[in-house]
Amino acid sequence: MDDDGFGLLEAASGNDGMTVRILVVDDHPVVRQGLRTLLRSRPEWEIIDEAEDGIEAVEKADRLKPDVVLLDVGMPRMDGLEACRRIRKTVPNSEVLIVTQHDSPQMLREAVSAGARGYVVKSDAARDLLAAVESVTQHKFFTARKRGLDGDSK
Amino acid sequence: MKLRILIADDHELVRRGLCSLLQSREGWEICGDAKDGREAVDKARQLKPDVVILDVGMPNLNGLAATRQLLQQQPQLKIIVLTITDSDQVIREALDAGARGFVLKSDAARDLVSAVEALERNRMFFTPRVNDMVLAGFLDKGYKPANGEAPKLPTLTPREREVIQLLAEGKSSKEVASLLNLSTKTAETHRSNIMRKLDIHSIRDLVVYAVKNDIIQVQVSQQLTASAEGSVA
Repeated sequence: MDDDGFGLLEAASGNDGMTVRILVVDDHPVVRQGLRTLLRSRPEWEIIDEAEDGIEAVEKADRLKPDVVLLDVGMPRMDGLEACRRIRKTVPNSEVLIVTQHDSPQMLREAVSAGARGYVVKSDAARDLLAAVESVTQHKFFTARKRGLDGDSK
Repeated sequence: MKLRILIADDHELVRRGLCSLLQSREGWEICGDAKDGREAVDKARQLKPDVVILDVGMPNLNGLAATRQLLQQQPQLKIIVLTITDSDQVIREALDAGARGFVLKSDAARDLVSAVEALERNRMFFTPRVNDMVLAGFLDKGYKPANGEAPKLPTLTPREREVIQLLAEGKSSKEVASLLNLSTKTAETHRSNIMRKLDIHSIRDLVVYAVKNDIIQVQVSQQLTASAEGSVA
């Protein structure tokens, strides 16, 4: 992945109007449950499986070939950024949406370098998650506007 | 009549996850949620739940302090605490504060429903790991640490512990005063009493004390290299 993340890279999706298959990855079962609850509002989105660390995420992504992988960063065994790199390499048709506690431009940059298509801060998940998933499903980059501060949101 | 449950946790996704775990139960109703201990106490006063689920590590007023305040205002309330650590100190404090359910966050998906069921039937609930310790009398009031050390906690008043939490979270005396409805002078007096009782001389040491004594809980991300901004939960 060598685009700067802002390009509207619209690859042929093959998914117009059909089910969007989502893999949810986070080391906290309750957080995964919270994400599921938010995603449930779209009937055409199907949560195909869950994983609790980067190794499991890579394995499941490779096997199940989801359209979108929701990926936490801070996980045991293998963190989300490393998992993102591997998933993007082995399953290039799966888009990665990072869902993390960290609200930092540096983390965002790293996520983009790792090949993520979107970045959602957990505390804003209720506001941003649906739009983020929609966006990355269409291979469009997603990040929320920063709340007020230094305008640079890259 | 439905069992009314109030949920308090500072992470929105966790609150939603917890709600979702409990909502599917016929006969249980989530009557509200809160993102810190103070809000939990206020909402409980208005909504009068039967059961309150409290994350221990919430900012502004942590779950243990909230437990004490909630029980003062509603002695019949049943409280379950959620925590990321199962240190015996936290368990002891939770019990002393009056909580009757103790669930590890990592096991909440598995244990929370059982915990609420138990409290509904006037029983206590401990996450299985803790159960063994309780049975072994580990938490017996007569328990003394193996090496005969004096108990760790000097006598701090509940108010002082509240102030410690706020100071450790980086609030100024002025902000502490405003949050607790005190004069700035009183807040400053608490602050100097605390420093004196604990024999510490800087906010940094206060933070260390607060972490060691579970007044604030720090969740350390497994991977910290990317972001050097380790955050205090």
